[in-house]
Amino acid sequence: MTKPLFRGLLIAAFFALVAAVLIPVYVPRPAFIPGFAPPPDMWPRTVALIGTGLGLLAIVQAVLGRGLPNEELIETDGAPVATMVLRALGAAAAFAGFVLVVPLAGFPIAAMALTGLCILLTGERGHVLWALAISILGPLLLLTFFQQALGTQFPKGMLTTAIGI
Amino acid sequence: MMNDILIALQAVATFENLLIMVAGIWGGVIIGAIPGMTGTMAVTLALPFTFYMAPVPSILLLVALYKGSTYGGSVSAILIKTPGTASAACTALDGYPLAQQGKAGKALNMALYSSVTGDFISNLSLIFLAAPLAMLALHVGPPEYFMLMLFALTTVAGVSGNSLLLGLVSAAMGLLLATAGEDMYGSFRFAFTDDMQAGLSVAPVLIGLFALPELIKMIVMRAAPDQETAKLGDQKVSRAEFLSSLKSILRGSSIGVIMGAIPGIGPSAAAFFSYGEAQRSSKNGKNFGKGELEGIAASESANNGACGATMIPLLALGVPGDVITGVMLGAFMIQGLTPGPLLFQTNMHEIYMLFIGMLFSSVLLFGAGKLTMRMFSYVAHIPQTLLTPTVLLLCLFGIYSISSSMFDVTVLLVMGCVGFAMFLLNIPAAPFLIAFILGPMIEENLRRALALSRGEPGILLSSPITWVFAALIVFVVGLTVRREIQKSKERKALIS
Repeated sequence: MTKPLFRGLLIAAFFALVAAVLIPVYVPRPAFIPGFAPPPDMWPRTVALIGTGLGLLAIVQAVLGRGLPNEELIETDGAPVATMVLRALGAAAAFAGFVLVVPLAGFPIAAMALTGLCILLTGERGHVLWALAISILGPLLLLTFFQQALGTQFPKGMLTTAIGI
Repeated sequence: MMNDILIALQAVATFENLLIMVAGIWGGVIIGAIPGMTGTMAVTLALPFTFYMAPVPSILLLVALYKGSTYGGSVSAILIKTPGTASAACTALDGYPLAQQGKAGKALNMALYSSVTGDFISNLSLIFLAAPLAMLALHVGPPEYFMLMLFALTTVAGVSGNSLLLGLVSAAMGLLLATAGEDMYGSFRFAFTDDMQAGLSVAPVLIGLFALPELIKMIVMRAAPDQETAKLGDQKVSRAEFLSSLKSILRGSSIGVIMGAIPGIGPSAAAFFSYGEAQRSSKNGKNFGKGELEGIAASESANNGACGATMIPLLALGVPGDVITGVMLGAFMIQGLTPGPLLFQTNMHEIYMLFIGMLFSSVLLFGAGKLTMRMFSYVAHIPQTLLTPTVLLLCLFGIYSISSSMFDVTVLLVMGCVGFAMFLLNIPAAPFLIAFILGPMIEENLRRALALSRGEPGILLSSPITWVFAALIVFVVGLTVRREIQKSKERKALIS
């Protein structure tokens, strides 16, 4: 399957799903609507239907091979696609891990871990001291700034509270 | 009026405000000078900090960042042939050859003088044009506003990326996401969780969409630029050199003002157009692309000339012309100010303060540019592998500090992944963001118009103004489709 066809299918499927499944379930109509005001589902339904139409148009373009946009070449380090998929999954897992770790380890420690992990994931191995400074001192500096200057209280973790950090 | 201006001048000329503007300009220049960091990123990263500031200083900070980053984009374009921002792409064409000839300092100085001139002219145009336009806008109703916003959205969709269809898809996604939360009659739409009942905040969506994909790209693709930084060398721009470029600077500034004032066009298109015009009309046209100071002057005066002008539709009509003014619209709303014609009646003091602050910032841009010139060669070489995770860190702390909500942080991270997926699919992000910000206003005006007409959609084409906007939409769509067909033909001819 070509990229334009896949893109068209994805766009059409997304908007069709919204129009056919999500709007009927998640956009309830109130029992009373004043005057001639349109119901709350009118606008999202209109947008979703237009989006579905645009997706179908993208499919037609892809099938006929006409009017396709110039696909820009994506610069890479030459790694195989499987490696790049793994890297993307690694980034997604790091983000999800951060959200899950915050209640346990607290916001600053989770932020330190995420920053350090992201530096490693970018392939950076040369500037070790800088990497450590950014991952450890960076969150501490920001924590101090936001707590002292703006009074923000960041979430503390269950585990870190238990061990007295 | 004079009294109002003097009061506003007194209010702006405080140490605190000047410090904020200096920090904004300086920060903007440095961020703009770093390849991969854009003005949009600078403005979006500063957004969380503005929550704790008074309305006018917060907008001045964002404007200063915008101007600084637009000029800063020329620094890496000249020194390492990597435009820090898209609007500095033309600057690289002549700036880098000059740097190779040992005249990087001269090129940077010319970029600075042109940027400051363009910026000053742009600010004057904002001061003189915004108020009359706002007065005119007082006479338009919901149908006219709906059509105006639709026009702005179509233009942004047309000029972002290289396909109108994908631009419109992006805009549709933004409009759909904007419907999440409570609507004007109290219905909760797409409230999958309790947190979503209030809808999605602007800051995590836009920061996630614009700042985080760069990090994910760095992780997945790992394609780091590898360029040599030129030395500053010969620095002085002679009087004769400046005067010979003055015509291009003034023309570039005018082009910047006109193109900046049209929603959706912005600094990049202005810079390209101005560069082309200067090349066509200059007696040194043949030297363009080989190290011609006039080329830098034309490009830089136009891109900075557009900065102030993009505020004209924002302040007068409440319609952002590009992503940065979209962010500023969000900042205005956060501060309890609603850009549009009524702002000129209810918040005239703030408007005067903003105008005066913007004029101040032109002078500060000159000072910041001069003072930071030596530092540029270091700034342009910060490794992306360290920079992008630092940006993530700023985003995490900044977003959490806005609402003390982990939900917003989660939205930030999810939108980063969405932004990356859109990048892979070649779907531009700018229409998504503009649509997300304009979405509630578009819907509100449409529903009001339909309520006024008792459900008759004909009201959307019932006045001369709505007809003008409808014609403009058809014109923009026609023009974009024609351009795409031409490009497609050229590509086919190239392949065959």
